[in-house]
Amino acid sequence: MEKIYKITLRIHRYDPDIERSWIQEYRVDAGRILRFVDLFRKINDEQDPSLTWNSSCEHGQCGSCAVRINGKPMLSCELLVENAVAYFNTTLFDIEPLTIAPVVRDLVVDIEKAYEKVNRAKPYIIAPKPAAEKAAEYCITPQELEKYVAATRCINCFCCAEACISSPKAFLGPNALLASIVRVMDPREQEKTDRLALLYSDQGVRRCHTSKACSFVCPKEIDVAYFIALAKSGRFDPNP
Amino acid sequence: MNRALQTSATLLCDLLIIGAGGAGMRCAAEVLGKRPNSRVIALTKVPHPQKSHTSTAQGGLASVDPADPADKIIYHMFDTWKGSDCMADQNVVKKICEAAWEQVIWLENRGMHFSRNQDGKLSKRTFGGHTLNFGERSAFRAVFEADRTGKGIMDTAWGESMKQGVSFLNQSIAAELLFSDDQCVGAMVFLQKEGKFARILSRATVLATGGSGQVFKVTTNCRQNTGDGLAIALQAGLPILDPEAVQFHPTGIVGPGILASETLRSVGGILRNKDLEPFMEHYAPKMKDLAPRDLVSRAIETEIRQGRGVLNPDHHIEHVWIDLRHLSQKVHEEQIPEVSGFFKQYVNLDARTELCPVRPSNHYHMGGIPTNLSGQVLNSSQNPVPGLYAVGECAAASFHGFNRLGTNSILELITMGKFVGESVLEFLKEAPQKPAEASAVKTFSRFSEYLEGRGTDSIGQIRDALRTLMTANVGVFRTESGISEAIGALKELNERAQKVSLSNKSLAMNQELMQRWEMDALLAVSMVIARAALARKESRGAHFREDFPERRDEFNHHTLASMTVFGDVALARRTVDMSVFNAGGAHHENFNLIERKY
Ligand SMILES: Cc1cc2nc3c(=O)[nH]c(=O)nc-3n(C[C@H](O)[C@H](O)[C@H](O)COP(=O)(O)OP(=O)(O)OC[C@H]3O[C@@H](n4cnc5c(N)ncnc54)[C@H](O)[C@@H]3O)c2cc1C
Ligand code: SF4
Ligand code: SF4
Ligand code: FES
Repeated sequence: MEKIYKITLRIHRYDPDIERSWIQEYRVDAGRILRFVDLFRKINDEQDPSLTWNSSCEHGQCGSCAVRINGKPMLSCELLVENAVAYFNTTLFDIEPLTIAPVVRDLVVDIEKAYEKVNRAKPYIIAPKPAAEKAAEYCITPQELEKYVAATRCINCFCCAEACISSPKAFLGPNALLASIVRVMDPREQEKTDRLALLYSDQGVRRCHTSKACSFVCPKEIDVAYFIALAKSGRFDPNP
Repeated sequence: MNRALQTSATLLCDLLIIGAGGAGMRCAAEVLGKRPNSRVIALTKVPHPQKSHTSTAQGGLASVDPADPADKIIYHMFDTWKGSDCMADQNVVKKICEAAWEQVIWLENRGMHFSRNQDGKLSKRTFGGHTLNFGERSAFRAVFEADRTGKGIMDTAWGESMKQGVSFLNQSIAAELLFSDDQCVGAMVFLQKEGKFARILSRATVLATGGSGQVFKVTTNCRQNTGDGLAIALQAGLPILDPEAVQFHPTGIVGPGILASETLRSVGGILRNKDLEPFMEHYAPKMKDLAPRDLVSRAIETEIRQGRGVLNPDHHIEHVWIDLRHLSQKVHEEQIPEVSGFFKQYVNLDARTELCPVRPSNHYHMGGIPTNLSGQVLNSSQNPVPGLYAVGECAAASFHGFNRLGTNSILELITMGKFVGESVLEFLKEAPQKPAEASAVKTFSRFSEYLEGRGTDSIGQIRDALRTLMTANVGVFRTESGISEAIGALKELNERAQKVSLSNKSLAMNQELMQRWEMDALLAVSMVIARAALARKESRGAHFREDFPERRDEFNHHTLASMTVFGDVALARRTVDMSVFNAGGAHHENFNLIERKY
């Protein structure tokens, strides 16, 4: 069962102190079930402690570790060496930071900047409807919940935003729209006017080309494009 | 030559929350909900609050629904007390269990997407140790959001606090608490992205830094859970309550440590050693693989220690196997699809045809910064420190005693988060409008030492040695000789750490510098865990001493461990609150010193 892969990682580096970027090549011997975050840690421990990258939960639940691997935005904590070799059919990997936000150092981007779009979508209930009974939960049937529950699984890893083919400057982007759509579909939310204004604004859903690139890369397998298409179809708009 | 480090800015606020996880955010939402114009600053080490560890909790959150005719708050209290191995404080248990349902509704009304039953009401499920009628049968007491309950709580608490105007300082660490006289007046903060130091002066400060699982080699905890809150409290001369109480889950997946749920064993999974022998029959002849968590963890560790473990070549971790191959296709598909999925995803094994590697995984720290019922931090004389609060996994009001029940942690976050918020509000009424001045004493000297280290050692290697050592000697099994050896080794590791030279001396987003800082926290937390474990010559809850396998009455007290100079640990005791028992009344006998038998 012991199998060693000889992996070459070409990692894009950036040093903010001298504002220089370059590509650095690391060769690592890796067991089959090491994840890419394990490789980064191995490089830190054995070759170059200065290489900087991000992760937190390291099991696909927090969205901190997204990078581009051979061009594809992915969670580096979910990708096993063995699977990566099979998927890309190579042992050579280009590792780059996401482009949706400015790079802070090496693979770390200023994700707060990207979150500004999510924040604009107000990822909370703005005006909760009073529950039927005081001090009780709302009644939401499983069938009602089922309509939007998939969209609540988003971990804001921004893989979809990275893959999106619409202009990032002019477009709020898939995950920010998703955050708003969840609340439009949530029966507890009374405030719909503001939300719809945002969804149908010039930075909203009409910028989407329905290419489904977002759905293809989502590590949580959320069909992001489907939810955006629901909004595009005018389904939520009282005066389309 | 000392590199000139300086404070770039001083920020003033009413409330500083150190740690934007579930506990910190629930507290922030409470304060802002009642006092909307408060200036609240929340720090988090991660790039964004949503990336906090709370987001990873899966199972659920325990709370007795007043509409449920079968369940009663007193049963939940009893289960928590029994689970704690008679070490929880009963006044805290009562307060939290009574407050539970209201907080569930708080979350629901603010948009948490709880799973529902056919009536549209909150679904409930059972969890280990939660029973009806004092142990008679399992209780359906945990509400949940599919397998991502923690994410629901994190998103809701973060959303609410953002809505009400918390200022977040992400990717920032609190490096030192600031005091004026004996009052806490804020913290010295290192802003990682900018590479700058800021002094945050606040009228009240809440520590909510979460767990310390990175002390151990295999852990379910986030990468950032290095016990910082405990370390900065120790550095400020404050004690840690019951640091030796550390929980292990028997089946963490090698190497990421991710939980492989108990369900695997309940559907018939069999643990096997290197020789493929089903070893649980030697340890629990009747219950075998279904014995309680701590017993199974000990059995696995024994096999490994006696040379019957398997070394994983990729992660260099020894483990045993869980065998699921004999289970029917139906069981695989219907009962354990998700956990099977984890094995596929993280070890690339097909659980239907291959053996799966598991090892006890560090899961939760019951010990923490001691607080009273309202979350005020207590000093070594057990008096509240004015202006300082602690909540969440880093705190110990002692709801969990020596063993936490599943689903009780998240409950603690939201209930205590609210109570701490209320207590802060009271304090803000009295405290002066403008926070007092104070400056950092240690931060700059420590950071310049880090930047000037001249040795050849590597942080990665020292950290690895520490985590291996703690797992082997102060983990699931503990003995006097093992712990003593660890204490000696920790001192050596500390010396090695002091000499590490950083390859990158930059301040901005320097991960290596951060890891050097975290190394000190890991060392400090490890040392107090080890010293407290050495002194507790008995076995209780998650603390198991092979040389003293029984629970002993003379240790019916909490430990308080203080350490301002590395290695100089002072230990003291605090009595366990037994107010529910002492109050008499119906069922009070169940709150006496009872045996933890299931
Ligand atoms: C896999 C898993 C499953 C679990 N499932 C359940 C469950 O089903 N039910 C249950 O009740 N419990 C569960 N738990 C336990 C529970 O998730 C945790 O105990 C709880 O989330 C801790 O919350 P917290 O707010 O105290 O800390 P965290 O969520 O860890 O937040 C801590 C915050 O502090 C910040 N921080 C840390 N150090 C510093 C510093 N020096 N300066 C500034 N900020 C800092 C962090 O960045 C973070 O924002 C589970 C745990 C795990 C690992
Ligand atoms: S479907 Fe729309 S949102 Fe998704 S990638 Fe294409 S353009 Fe972007
Ligand atoms: S929708 Fe999917 S890809 Fe996009 S941020 Fe959310 S989890 Fe990531
Ligand atoms: S580190 Fe959390 S998703 Fe990868």
